[in-house]
Formats: sequence, structure tokens, C-alpha cells
Amino acid sequence: MTVTAPRVPKPTVPPRVAPRRPRPAPGSRGLSPLRLLGMAFVWLFTAFNILVLYWLLTATFKTPIEIFTKPFALPYQWFERGDPFRNIIYAWSNAGFGRAFLVTVVLVAVSSVAIVLVSAPAAYALTRLGVRGSNGLTNFIAIGMGIPFQTVVIPLFIGMAKLNLTNSLFGMFLVYVALSIPFTVFLLTGFFRSLPDELEEAASIDGASPLRTFFSIMLPLARGGLITALILNAIGLWNETLLALVFLNENANFTLARALFSFYGAASYQSEYGGLIAGVAIVVLPMLVLYVLLARRIITGLTLGAGK
Amino acid sequence: MATVTYDSTTRYYAGNPQPAVDNLDLEVADGEFLVLVGPSGCGKSTTLRMLAGLEGVDGGAIRIGSRDVTNLPPKDRDIAMVFQNYALYPHMTVAENIGFHLKISKMAKSEREERIKEAAELLDLTPYLDRKPAKLSGGQRQRVAMGRAIVRRPQVFCMDEPLSNLDAKLRVQTRTQIASLQRRLGVTTIYVTHDQVEAMTMGDRVAVLKDGVLQQCDTPVGLFGRPANLFVAGFIGSPAMNLIPSTVIGESATVGGRPIPLTRAQRAELTSDKVVVGVRPEGWTIVAEGIDATVDVVEELGSDQYLYCSATTPQIDPTDSPDAPHAITVRTPGMSPWRPGEKLALAPHPGAVHLFDAVTGERLPD
Amino acid sequence: MTAALGAHKAGRRRLFLPFFLPAVSLYVLFLLVPTVATVVLGFTSWAGAGDTPRFTGLANFGELLASDSFRFSFLNTLLYIVVGGVGTFLLAFLFTMVLRDMRGGKTVRAILFFPNIVAPVALGMFFGIVLIFRPNRQGLVNFVLESFGIDAVKFLAPENVTWVVTGCLIWASAGFYITILMAAVDRIPPYLYEDADIAGASPWQKFRNITLPLTWDVIGVAGVLWTIGAIKIFELVFVLAGPGTYSPPIQSWTLGVYVFDRSFGTAGSPEYGMACAAAVVMIALVSVLVVMLRRMMRRDSVQF
Ligand SMILES: Nc1ncnc2c1ncn2[C@@H]1O[C@H](COP(=O)(O)OP(=O)(O)OP(=O)(O)O)[C@@H](O)[C@H]1O
Ligand SMILES: [Mg+2]
Repeated sequence: MTVTAPRVPKPTVPPRVAPRRPRPAPGSRGLSPLRLLGMAFVWLFTAFNILVLYWLLTATFKTPIEIFTKPFALPYQWFERGDPFRNIIYAWSNAGFGRAFLVTVVLVAVSSVAIVLVSAPAAYALTRLGVRGSNGLTNFIAIGMGIPFQTVVIPLFIGMAKLNLTNSLFGMFLVYVALSIPFTVFLLTGFFRSLPDELEEAASIDGASPLRTFFSIMLPLARGGLITALILNAIGLWNETLLALVFLNENANFTLARALFSFYGAASYQSEYGGLIAGVAIVVLPMLVLYVLLARRIITGLTLGAGK
Repeated sequence: MATVTYDSTTRYYAGNPQPAVDNLDLEVADGEFLVLVGPSGCGKSTTLRMLAGLEGVDGGAIRIGSRDVTNLPPKDRDIAMVFQNYALYPHMTVAENIGFHLKISKMAKSEREERIKEAAELLDLTPYLDRKPAKLSGGQRQRVAMGRAIVRRPQVFCMDEPLSNLDAKLRVQTRTQIASLQRRLGVTTIYVTHDQVEAMTMGDRVAVLKDGVLQQCDTPVGLFGRPANLFVAGFIGSPAMNLIPSTVIGESATVGGRPIPLTRAQRAELTSDKVVVGVRPEGWTIVAEGIDATVDVVEELGSDQYLYCSATTPQIDPTDSPDAPHAITVRTPGMSPWRPGEKLALAPHPGAVHLFDAVTGERLPD
Repeated sequence: MTAALGAHKAGRRRLFLPFFLPAVSLYVLFLLVPTVATVVLGFTSWAGAGDTPRFTGLANFGELLASDSFRFSFLNTLLYIVVGGVGTFLLAFLFTMVLRDMRGGKTVRAILFFPNIVAPVALGMFFGIVLIFRPNRQGLVNFVLESFGIDAVKFLAPENVTWVVTGCLIWASAGFYITILMAAVDRIPPYLYEDADIAGASPWQKFRNITLPLTWDVIGVAGVLWTIGAIKIFELVFVLAGPGTYSPPIQSWTLGVYVFDRSFGTAGSPEYGMACAAAVVMIALVSVLVVMLRRMMRRDSVQF
């Protein structure tokens, strides 16, 4: 028997409209109470994070009284007095965050670039030059990620003091660059390892010198990795406190995190909570902006090492 | 055991106004081996996954036996599925893989082991029961996937291209194993493939899909002998049927200047004067006087020989573009002495002509 | 071997030293040498700059064991690693179970991840203000508690603060571990879950039989990351538990705080030798825990 599809749609079928949302598979639709509970928890947790951010943003524009008595309201007192940015201005000029901001931006930028400049050739050498024992050497450097800074900071401080490099931004720069090497080299070896061999071989057949191959072929190819390394280091250094606490002790040299640290005691003593929150915001908001712009890159970069 | 019924079943995917499966009506008999075949993306997997409960149904219904399973979760449907990639759990041994479903359904350990042993014997897997899938060959993995389906003793087997990851030789071998296993167990089976040889050799019946629409569902012989439309005619059979457009003048169409008569019933069905004349490669005879053609390429298979010819003068269809040489494929017995460049004359066997309406694509009545 | 290598390879090998040396010398000079120095100094009595270290054998370690502040530091650090770790991973597992097939999962992950790139000092201060206990002008949490008619809690009192910090730590780190685990979960082929659906597996059974075994290796790595992250916890405790400018009460100390207090902290006279001994304990603890974790998580590798 031959069954043929009818030539015209069956008259019983109403004109077809694609549903906006096709039906899910029957199993997944059964929202078990457990699953519902889980979803509720996930959303509450997420909502809490957003609330936290909202609180921080609004508190930046509030008086201490408002911060504590109307935590969820929008700010109004400083607005009424025609001075909405009072907290930020206070933190910026009276508490030294303005200078700290500049210091941090410069220090973080210069250090991050230097870190990548030192680490990229090392990562390349470890992955692409076919030298025996490079795996062992890579691990040797990666172990550095597991060393807590507390264990190096005392001898390092003594040594730097001998060289007159404590309480100096250049000394800070050196420490930052050196201590960021394990993570950065490890991150970049991952990137270099994933590049195809053929390009390098082709370049050498074309007569490019090894050094030239590195600069004109491999570096541009690993650009994504280099940028990720740059950003991740910038984030790490922006937030770094312990080393700044140890190595910097003059207001003029303070980084933001260090300035915030010093401001905390004084601010809570004087109930200068508005300024304190503004200080926190000055530290957090640039990260938030960066995160909104580059979330995917930051997330994959930071979690890359664990995935493979 | 049970029948499977698709009743005007429709499936949409988000963001696509065209349904992936469109008003499918299909009835699979108890114990039948039905093959779903069609080009890539035609909705075969979707059809199968709706039956398994892995996709929702946006219109119509699906029944297994007399049970309406449209809204039942997969576990309550009493089906087993063999996935294209086998879906073996890499961290479980073969025995654990085969017994996983039974374990989830809380079957007693002794009975479970009994069933695993039985399935393993049936599939020659006994020596491998303690191995992990990574240490099995492709064919063995495929058998483990089969084993996992049969231990459940389900009412219906769903198989989505279960052989496509095997090499050609193993595929032929496993093809017959699956078919005979299915006959022995007598479980209603729906089998998806895009390989028409698999479809024709394995299926009791074969359903041909295109763009989510069922084109024809018939026995392999019926499908081959009486394709319901141009798509099926071109899809089933290898090399494909020669489909030659022509125009009906009076009571017959012409191909290469030779008349092909149409019956009164056929002419009554025509929606215009355009027809397509279909002749399979084996439907030609080489004659002294007929459609003139030149051999372009000779494909020697040993048992058979395929001649790829072009018919240029006179035009196969005078109304067609005059420069287009029409390729005609002809099957001749193996080791025939044809060489490229030689001329020959062709005529279709009397019973080998298929006629289709060129506008609707439908087969004209015989 | 070398003979088979083309001039191309040999030429490139010459690049190795100039490329590798700058990074590795900085690494050795600023990380390894100081670490070794710390280990050596841990066995000396040394007040700090101006004093000369005198070798005293294990005396420092005996003194550490006898001191309350160190015992608090050690136990609190262990608590953060174990309790915080278990809490974070349970939370992350719960999220992976729910997020795997939830719409908006990517957004949720991105939002939860953000605290990871905020300075711990800032987090600490933020929580300090939110959790403050001051009748009539309560921090946000006590404000909410009181508005529900519940008595306000002294969250930052020494006896509570360790648990509060644990909570903050879990909250702030969850996103990172959720992201790592979810990336591993996303690599599990969907058909395995479909097969489990056909078998009728519950979410828990799917987690137990598919997600957990197939993300095992990543969980192991994440556990190591957690350990080396949690062992150095410092700023959060320092800010939340104390007045900020000098060290908090010893009940809340961690090893990181201990080292800082005995060397650079302003309370008391510095004892660099003791600080170094405590730092040695940190390295020992992290090594032991990491080795233990790797042992525990070891099993045949699974390819899929
Ligand atoms: N999850 C999905 N989301 C959106 N569209 C889908 C999805 N799955 C399939 N489709 C679309 O639905 C149509 C039918 O897909 P289906 O997988 O059923 O095809 P198929 O016949 O099995 O093809 P193949 O032989 O390549 O496996 C295709 O056009 C495909 O692009
Ligand atoms: Mg398919």
C-alpha cells in the first residue's frame, strides 16, 4: 500500500502560526518542588548580589544618617543641599583618594605591561622552542602560584630596605612585576601551546629568523592571550593590599587599596561613612566598568587554568 | 509490544517559523521495523526525539499502543533509545552501562545482573563486561549501546543513526545483526538513517521525509517501484533515477524525439502540459534506433557498469534550453565494451517509465 | 636526536635563555630566595631590623604552639579552608544542578562572579558597614532584622566574626567556583543527560551518576585553588574583625594576620623570627593539604 502525503494541508488544521516559544520536552516541564526551590535560591542569591551593588551605588551619594536609617531609599539629602557629589569629593580631595587614584593607575598600567613583556617570551620559550625539560620548568614556575605572599614578604622587605627600595613606587613596581610572574607565565603557556605549529614552520621556511618569527608571527597570534594577561594582572594589582601595606608607608605613595585601608580606621572613628563608602566605590567602580565591558574575557581568563 | 502512531504531529524550534516536523501522520505496526530516511536536516532526529520525549510536541499527538504519550516524560513511555554517539557513560564499565537504566528503576541486583548477562551473551559482550568504553572498539561500543536498549525490554526501540560512526565494512555487518536481533525480539523499532541502502535493506517499511514533511511511507519495493513524487524518485536508488523534463503534445510526451504515451487517466491528472519522465539507469535498453546519446564517462564496478551519457541531438525536450546536454545514466552488464566518446541509442523498457507532474511533482496514476 | 633537527630548530633553541632568563631570575630572586630565607629565619630568634638573627632550633615553633594567638590563627585558617571550602563547593554544586538547564544561566554566572574582582579590602569595608551593630543606627543587615522584629546581632563581635567572614568568603568566592564547575559541566555531552532522562533519573541521580564523576578532575583542581587562596586570607579578617588600623582581637586571627602582626603590624614589638616560623607553618599547611587533596581525588582518567 502506498501512503502519499496529501497535496494540500488537511482542512482540519488551522492556519499555522509558529509558536513564540516551542514547548519544552515533557520531562523538563515537571518542575519538581526540589527544582523550584533550587531555582528560587539561585535567583534570590543573584538578586542579593544586585541589591548589594545597588546599595553601594546609592550609599555613595547618601549622608551617614541616610545610609543607616534608609538603606534602600534613593539618596536625597545631599541632593537637596545641592551637593550630590559631596562624598566623592571628600574622599577624592580630603582623604587623598585623588592622588592615590593617579598613583594606582600609573603603577598598575606600567607594572601590567612590564609583567606581560617579561612573561610572554618566557612562556613562548617554555612551550614553543622544544627544549627538553620545559615541562618541568613550567611546573617549577607554576608552583610559585601556591606560595602565599606572607611567606616572602619579610625577607623581601629587609632586602628591599637595604637597597632603599621600600616606600618607593619603583620598588613596589619591581615587587609587583616579580610576584605576578608565576600566574602570568602559566596563563600564557596555555595560550602559546594552543597555537598551531605550521605557522612557525612556514615562517622559518620563508626565511624569517627565530626572533622575527616570535615578534611578527607568534605575538600577534597570541594577542588575545596577552590582552587577557594584561587585564587580569591589572585587576589583581588594582586590588592588591598586603604588599602595598608592607612596602608603602607615606601618603604620597599610597595606592587606592592602601589608602582605603588607612582611611578605614579614621573614617569609622569620625563616622565619616559617606566618605568611606565613596572610597570603596572609587576602588570598586572602575572594576565594575571593566567587568561590564570585558566580563567574558575576564571570566574565561581567570578560570582557564582550572578547566584543562 | 505496541504500535506507534504519530497523529498530525508538529514540532517547531525557537526562532524558526518553519516547523522542523510538519503535520506528520505515521502509523507503525506492532513489531514493525520502520526506517526514517531523508536528507540532512529534514527532521528525522526530531521525529524520533519527540517519540522518546526528548522534544516537546507543538501540535498533534503521539501514541504508543493506545496510550497517548504526548505529554508523558521519557521515563514513563517504555521506550529505549540508541544514540548516534552511543551516549555511553565513560566512567562506568560495560556492565554498569548496560545496567544503568535498571539501576535507576531500582531493579533488584540479582535480577539486574541476570539481565545484563543475558544481554551480553546475546551481543557477544561477555568478555568485555568489566572494561570502560574508552577501551572498546567502535563496533563493541555500538553493541553496548544496543545492550543498554535491550535490557530494558521496552515496547519501542528508537535508534538515531546508530551505525554512522562505524567504518563501511562493519556497518554492513552490524546492519544485518541489528535487523535480525530486532526480528528475534519482535520489538517495534523506529530507525533513523540518512543512508538509503540501510533504509532499503533493514526496514519493513521506509518513511521518506523532506523539510519536515512526510513524502512517502512504503515497503522498500513499493518505494523503489512506485515513488510517489519527484523527490522520492530522485532520493531512492543509486545512481539516481534519470528525470527528464518534457512537454505533452497530444497524447504523448517526447524524449529525445521519441514519443512516450500517456494514458487518459494520466492526462486527466496533469495540471499543465509539463511532465517529468523518470527512467532508472537499469530501465534503459540499448537499441539500434532510439534516443541518441554519447558516452561521457564509464564507471566499471565489475558486476555492473554505469554509462554517463549526454543526449544532445536531437534535443531531449525541444522546449528546453537548446544548449543543455542532458545527462543520462545507463546501467549495463559488467565488463561491457563501452568506451567514452562512443555513440549509442537508448529506449526505456516498457514498464520502466515513471511519469510525474512537473508542476506539483506528484506521480501520475499508472 | 639533534642531528635530526633542522637548523631551524637549533637556531630557535638559542632563543631559550634570553627569553626565559629575565622571568625566571625575577622569580627566583623575589619568590624562591625569600621563601628559603623565611624557612631559615623561622628557626632563629630575630626581632627585626637592627637585630641579628640567632639560631634557636625549634624554639620558635614550641613558642607558637604555646601561644593562644597562634592557636587561634591556625584553627581559624583551617576553618576557613575546610568549612569555607565545603560551603563554597556545596553551593557551587547546587548551582550547577540548577543552572545546567536554566534560562539566564549565563547572566546569573556573570553576576555572581563579580565579587571575585573586587578588592578584599573593599569587600571587608562594605561588609563592615552593612553588618555594623549600633543601636538606633544599625547596618543594613541588622536594619532588616529589626524591621522583621528580630533582635539585632553583634555580627562583628570577636566570637561571631569568624563565621561572618566565612559567610562573606563563601559569598564572594562562589561565583568563581560556579564558573569553573559550570565550564566543566558544559563540556559533558548533552546526550548523557538525555539517556538519564529516558532512564528516569532524578536531578540528584543525574548529579551523582553523571555530573560528579565527569567533573571530578576539575573539582580536584578547584579544590587546590581554593586551598591556596584561603590559606592567605588576610584583608577581609583584618578589616571586618578589627578597627582597621591595627590588628583585630586574637580570636579572629588567621595565619596571614599572625605573620603580618608579628612583623609589620603596629601592635607590640616586632618578632620577625616568630613571623617567619608562622609563615613556614603556612607553607607546610598548604603543601600538606594540596598533597592530601590530590591523593584523595586521584582516580583513572576519564575521556569523553
Ligand atoms: N535544538 C534545536 N534548535 C533549533 N533548531 C533545531 C534544533 N535541532 C534541530 N533543529 C533544526 O530542525 C531541523 C531538523 O533537525 P533534525 O536534527 O531533526 O534533522 P535530521 O533529519 O536529524 O538531520 P541529520 O541527518 O543531519 O541528523 C533542522 O533544520 C535543524 O536545523
Ligand atoms: Mg539527526
